[in-house]
Amino acid sequence: MNVVIMGCGRVGATVAARLSDEGHAVSIVDTDSFAFSRLPKSFQGRCVVGSGNDLRVLEEVGIREADAFIALASGDNRNILASQRAKHVFEVKTVVTRVKDPQRSEIYEELGLRTFSPTTIGADLAHDALFNDAPAGSPNGTPNGAGG
Amino acid sequence: MYIIVVGGGIVGYGIALELQVLPGHEVTIVERDSRRAAELRAELGEMVVHGDGSEVAFLEQIGAARADLLIAVTADDGANLVTCQVAKHRFSVARTISRVNDPRNEELFHLLGVDSTISAAQAVMAQIETTLPEHTVVPLMSLEGSGLKVVDLHLQDGAPADGRPIRDIRLPENALISLVVGADGPTVPDGSTVLHSGDEVIAVIPLDAEEMMRELITGRPVAS
Repeated sequence: MNVVIMGCGRVGATVAARLSDEGHAVSIVDTDSFAFSRLPKSFQGRCVVGSGNDLRVLEEVGIREADAFIALASGDNRNILASQRAKHVFEVKTVVTRVKDPQRSEIYEELGLRTFSPTTIGADLAHDALFNDAPAGSPNGTPNGAGG
Repeated sequence: MYIIVVGGGIVGYGIALELQVLPGHEVTIVERDSRRAAELRAELGEMVVHGDGSEVAFLEQIGAARADLLIAVTADDGANLVTCQVAKHRFSVARTISRVNDPRNEELFHLLGVDSTISAAQAVMAQIETTLPEHTVVPLMSLEGSGLKVVDLHLQDGAPADGRPIRDIRLPENALISLVVGADGPTVPDGSTVLHSGDEVIAVIPLDAEEMMRELITGRPVAS
C-alpha cells in the first residue's frame, strides 16, 4: 500500500515505522525537519519537509497515487482540512484523521472521514486502569475482584 | 438576525464596526486570543467573546443554533473551514461565509458546503481584470441558494455574439442579460438589442455556465 502521513510526531513516526516494516511504501511530511529524527534507522520511506496543506508538497509525495492518507499533525483543524482535501480532491481511498476534540471527531465521522479521538481513547484507558489490577495495556488484566 | 463573526483581526474588527451600526441585528464577535479579545471588548463591549470558534461546545454556548449567519474570517483556513462546517452540520446555520487565505482552497470550501468564500487575492484579481482590455468574464457576485452568479462580460471583436440581436444568441439555459453598456451608455436590453464588440455586458448566469458565456463573447473556448 502507498501511504502518505502528515505529521511526524511520536504517533506519526511510530505508525510510519510500523507500516514501513510491514513493507508498505510510506511518505511522511512534517514542517519541522527535526521531527524526522524520531524515525528509526530501519525506516525505508520518504521524508518531505513542508506542510501537509501545501499543494506542492502533496504533489511531491505523490498524493494522487496514494492509497491512504493519515493526518496526525498537532492541530485538529489542519488535520481536518488536509483530510477532506485528500478525500475529495485527490480521491484517496482511505483517509484517517486524528481529531483531539471528541465532538469534532464525531461530526467528521458523520461527514465521511475515518476519525479517532486520542482524548476519548486516553480517557477510557485512564479510567479502566483504575479498576484493573494489571498494568494498562496488559492482556491478562481482569477487572478488580472479578477474576478471583 | 443573529450574526456570529469568528475572528477578531483586522477583517473581523472591520465587519464588527459595519454591523454595529445596522439596527436590529444581534452580533457576536469571537476572538481566540484573550488579550486581543479584551482589547476589542474595551472598544466594542459585550458583543465580543473570548473563545475558539471551531470548538463545538463553545459554539453551542454562544447560541450558534439560533444564528442566521456565521462569518469565519480568521487567518487560518483550517479553522475557518471547520467553523463553517460545524455551524452547518451541527447547528444548521442557514448561511456560512468564509475568508479564504490561500486562494487555492476556494473551490474545496465550496465543495465542502461553505456558502460563500471571500479571498483577498480573488477580489484584487477581479479589480485588475476589469481594467485589462483583454478581460472577458469577471465574476462580480454569486446569488446564494439560487445557483446563479452575476458576471461582467467584455464582448470581443468577431465573437459569436458580436453584431447580433440578443434573441438570436444561444445563451446558456437560465442565463439573463441584464444590462448592456455600449458606446451610448447603459441600456436595459430586450430581444432586439444588438450587441457590439467593446460592449460591457452584465449578465446573471448559472454557476456552471461561465465557460459557455466566455465562448459566446470571445469566440474561443477557454484553455484550462
